[in-house]
Formats: sequence, C-alpha cells, structure tokens
Amino acid sequence: MEELLKIMNEKITPEKSDLVKLRSVNDLRKTMDGYFARLKEAAETRNRKIAWCTSVGPAELLYSMGFEVYFPENHGAMLGAGKNADKYIPTAVAHGYSPDICSYLTSDIGAFLQNETPLQKSGFASVPKPDILVFNTNQCREVEDWFSFYGRHFNVPVVGIHTPLSISDLNQEIIKSVADQYHRLIPELEKVAGKKFDIDSFSERVGLSHDGCVLWKKVLQKAKHIPSPINFFDSAIHMGPIVVMRGTRDAVDYYKILLAELEERIDNKISAVPDERFRIYWEGMPLWYKLSNLAKLFAKLNTCIVASTYCNSWVFDDLDPQNPFESSALAYSKLFIVRSDSVKENVLEGLLHEFSIHGIIYHESKTCARNSNNRFGLQNRLFNQTGIPYLEINGDLSDPRCYSEEQSIIAIETFIDQLSGQLTNSRI
Amino acid sequence: MQRLGIDLGSSYTKGVLVDENNRMTAFHCVKSGYNFNNAAKKIISYFAENYEIEYPVYTCGYGREQIEAPFVANSELIALSKAVYEIYKRSCSIIDIGGQDTKFIQVNSLGQVEKFKMNRKCAAGTGSFLEEIAFRLDVTPEEFTEFAKDATQEVKINSFCTVFAISEIIGMIKNGASLPNIILGIYNSIILRSSELSLVEDYVVITGGLPSMHPTIVTLFKKKYPDSDSPERSQFLAAFGCVLLNRSGEKNKPQPINS
Repeated sequence: MEELLKIMNEKITPEKSDLVKLRSVNDLRKTMDGYFARLKEAAETRNRKIAWCTSVGPAELLYSMGFEVYFPENHGAMLGAGKNADKYIPTAVAHGYSPDICSYLTSDIGAFLQNETPLQKSGFASVPKPDILVFNTNQCREVEDWFSFYGRHFNVPVVGIHTPLSISDLNQEIIKSVADQYHRLIPELEKVAGKKFDIDSFSERVGLSHDGCVLWKKVLQKAKHIPSPINFFDSAIHMGPIVVMRGTRDAVDYYKILLAELEERIDNKISAVPDERFRIYWEGMPLWYKLSNLAKLFAKLNTCIVASTYCNSWVFDDLDPQNPFESSALAYSKLFIVRSDSVKENVLEGLLHEFSIHGIIYHESKTCARNSNNRFGLQNRLFNQTGIPYLEINGDLSDPRCYSEEQSIIAIETFIDQLSGQLTNSRI
Repeated sequence: MQRLGIDLGSSYTKGVLVDENNRMTAFHCVKSGYNFNNAAKKIISYFAENYEIEYPVYTCGYGREQIEAPFVANSELIALSKAVYEIYKRSCSIIDIGGQDTKFIQVNSLGQVEKFKMNRKCAAGTGSFLEEIAFRLDVTPEEFTEFAKDATQEVKINSFCTVFAISEIIGMIKNGASLPNIILGIYNSIILRSSELSLVEDYVVITGGLPSMHPTIVTLFKKKYPDSDSPERSQFLAAFGCVLLNRSGEKNKPQPINS
C-alpha cells in the first residue's frame, strides 16, 4: 500500500501535473495503515489467526471468524506499483511458473522466494505467515494454484469455492452450489480459528460489506457528473479498503469521507482532470507500474477515465445480512469477470450510456486472460451496437516487459485526436 | 517561405517541404540514430541551404517532441490520414509499414480517422524485421526486392518472432530452398501479419518506408488487394500531413498534441 500511496503522492505533486489532489488520501493512508498494523501485530504475536484470501473471496466469512485477512493480490499490485515485478518474475519462472501466467502470481511467488516484500518497509519481517488459505475461483483458476504453492510451503490447509465460469443465467442452481460451498468451508475454518462459526457475526460482516460496497458504488457513480470529480487513477488507489477491508467498519467509515469530498468537489466545480473534454471507459486491468505516467498523459489530453470494469468489480450490493450465505453466493457469482460475454456486453453498454462515454480503451493484459475482454470479439460487437470508438493497447498488469510505452502513448494520443475529429460539439 | 513537416520515426527521420499551394516540393530522409534532435537538425540544415523555412516546423513520430527548433507536434496516424485523404479524396484503408510499427487506419469519406490499429509489441512484420533478415542474409534492400521477382514458388515462414524466423530461414536454406522463394515467403509473411490488424473492405492505400524501399511488396499487396495503390515517396506522407493539419482555416482540425 505504501508503494501505491507513494505513487498517488507523486502523481499529485502540483509541479508535475495539473491533477488536483484528493484530500481524503490522508484518511486513506490512516485506514490502510490501521489494516496493516493489525496484520503485523497478528503476524508477530500470533494472537490472532491469519487467513489469506483472494480479492473477491469470502472475506466477510473470514473476518466473522476472527481472522486477520491478508490478500496476496493486493501484494501483487504493490509489487507492480513499486515497479519491482520484473525483478521477481524470473525467479518464479526458474521454479517452473510460466511467464505467461498471472504476473501477480509470478511476481508474488518470486518475491517470496527471494525473501523480499514491500511490507518490509512497514516493519514486517516477511509476508504474514498464513494459518489457512481461502480462494474463490470466480476470478480465475490461477488463484488456486497460487495459494497451493503457499499451502505446500507452510503446510497449512488450502480451501476454496469453485464458481462456474462464463455464467449467462445466474440461476438458483448456481447460487445454491456456491452457497453450499460456503457452508462446507466452515468446519475447516473452525478447526484453524479454534472457535465456532457464529451466524450473527457473519450477518453483521455481510451487512458491513454491503454498506461499504454501496458507498464505494456511490463513489464511483459520482464520476457520472460532467466534469467528473474522480478518475480511474484515483479510484485504483482509493479502492484499497473495499478490497482488503470488506466486511469491516473501517471501510464503511472511509468511503463516507471520500464520498463527502466528491460531493463537495461537485458543489465547488472541481474536476479530477482540469478542462475535462473527453470521457473514457477503461476495460481491463490497470498497468500498475504506469499509473502515474498514464494519469499525467490523460490529463494533458484533457481526458478523464471516468469508469472502469476493474473498479466496478468490487460493488457487491446484493449482499444481504438477512440472508448471508445465499446473498454472498449471488453477489460473488454476479461479478463481471465470471460472466459470459453476452452478459458483459450488456453491462458495458449500460455503463457507457450511464457515464456519457466517448471512447473505450481495452487493455489486453498479456498475463491476465480473464481480465482482457477484447480476446473474443467483444470489442467489435460492442462497437457495432453502440458506435462508440475503441482502442486496444497491449500491456500487462504488473510485468512492464509486456508494455511498449512509446507505441502506446502514440496510440492513446491518436485515439484522443480521433475522438476530437469525430465527435460533434454537442457530444463533447 | 516553405513549411516543413518532419516525421521523426524509430528508424528514419523524414522531412518534406510544402509550398503555399499545399504541394510537396522537396524531400529529405536521414537515419534517426540515437538523437532525434540531431536528425531533425540535419533535415533543417539540408533544406535551409536552398529554401527559406517557416517556423514552427510540424512534427510527428516517436521523436516529435525531441527537437530544439520551434515545433508543433501532431499525431502521426492522424497526419498520415490527412495526407492520404488530400491525395485520394475518398474513404479508404491505409496499411502503413514503418520501422517498428505496422498500422491499419480506416479513413471515412470526410477524411477523418474512423478506426485504427497498430501491431502488437512485436517487430515481426515491420521494417525492422526485414532489415534484420536482410542483414543476416547479407542482402541489400535493392537485391532483396529484385530476388523476389525470380521466385518460382513461395515458401512459408511460420515464426512470429524475428529471431526464430531467421532460424527457420537458415533451416530452409539448409534444405535447399532458393533465396528468391524464401524472400517471397518473407514478403508474404509481412502481408499476412498486416492483414491481421483488421478486415479490409474498401480501397487500400499502402504507405511507409518498407513499401517505398521494397517495390515488390507493393506488387504483392496489389495482388491481394486489387483495389489499391501505393503513392510515390509514401514514407514522407505523415510529414506532409503534419503541415496539412496545421494549415489555417482547416475545418474540424484535430487539436495538435502540445498546442
């Protein structure tokens, strides 16, 4: 997180860019510091058990059973943002992990094998040792293999939920199957936690998660305002609490602060990108190692990336404390990444309209097939349906070796020029 | 006074002078090398000997902002489209093969870019691919294009990677394939790579350094796309377009990048 915040601060240095600093970044830092402090204490004192969880895994269940929860994907993003992924990936590759699979996975395992982590800057001796690892394959199958590496290394259990892929009809059969798998996690979690599962505590956590997600959704929806008070590069940093603290009061409290600031910005006519002229939808993963450069590039082009699949992915507003198991199954199977292309097309079409989008940028991430939605013709179909122009850029979420910066800058500048030439004054 | 357009590309820097009637009057091309400013200086000095140049100069390409003279930077693809439209006055698809990039651009009937796509992060199918192979085979571009005319049968190059393509070619030579047939295979692999970028459904204009230096590839392109053309000195068109984009009173003129 420190790496992410460093980038944020770098990005908002006034002499470097015209981007306006979000005041809430200070509260974000405090919130994230609190999370890491709890994790560090648990790692050092072993006074609480530590569960590792995938980013859209059953965090609420784990928090309800008293675990401190650590998210390796968040760590992967830190390695990427710290521009260190390519230092670690070769080590994982030498251990038999292909450079073509998830670069979060390869950089994370590589860093572990080199006994390095950005958390050491915050006083951690290493990544916190897990007592159990819990995954949900709703996002991809790699997470199971990733967690299995650590399960073998630490000789601790690896349990998880296998969600069907490419879901078109999210029916009761699927929801029941996923909810049953939630139930089946409990005996192993009780064994490791040393305490009984408590339905009231789970409901409370699901309720908090719901509230946090609703606030996060409201934050993202503020970008519907023209000009937008927040852009994708802000959201990619400020999403930290909804990823790692879903189901906690801290996330809820933080997003109230952020939301209030965005409302204030709208009232005071402060936009994320001064002189916003073009509104872009970002499809695919962020390029963590280029967040700052891209934020400046788009600002220079008077372009605001107002919405993204990535940041929208942590909106689980179907969670319901009255029905915690089924609603968790519904919410975590409704996720964009686990849906069929036809569902994705409908979702995207709605978002393009809601956010008054002029153009779409598809980031085809070399090592993240599941989060690269331009591989099966969706981009052409959506263009035919909406007429909204698009650009495809090749890169990767963490591995900078997969990204050609100069070529991509030319493509992005040309795309904005293309929009400038195409759009009528009434649409801009 | 003549206006100067400079396309500072990854391999070559191309300069073109444009008169008050928007006609190209003089051309000069130098290797970009490691210093774009030096390359631009060479272009400017060359023209300054015989012409009075108007400033700012209009630039595009990788080094578009790397020059010390007063300049206005432009998008290379938009500039190229502008120049092609100026010549053909119709909607068309441009296939441009440069040093590192292969580009597809769809230009609509108003001369605007409707859609574009660039090659992935890989040099296969670009000018660098051909330069590397020519270097390894010790054949000049002129010989390369002449050899292809003698081909009797195409051999297929399968490798996407330049280095592995060379290994593949060495294997072919070992197995007795003739150089003309191999060169035809190399040209066709470039055409195939460029055709991956997009469906081509209308008039095709082939541009860039590679077609200019390898006329045989233009013949092969025309075979694939009968409704096509490749203007002379097409490697200078992006530089020409930079000047056109900035002519006064231009309607719907895209904003220059650093204006």
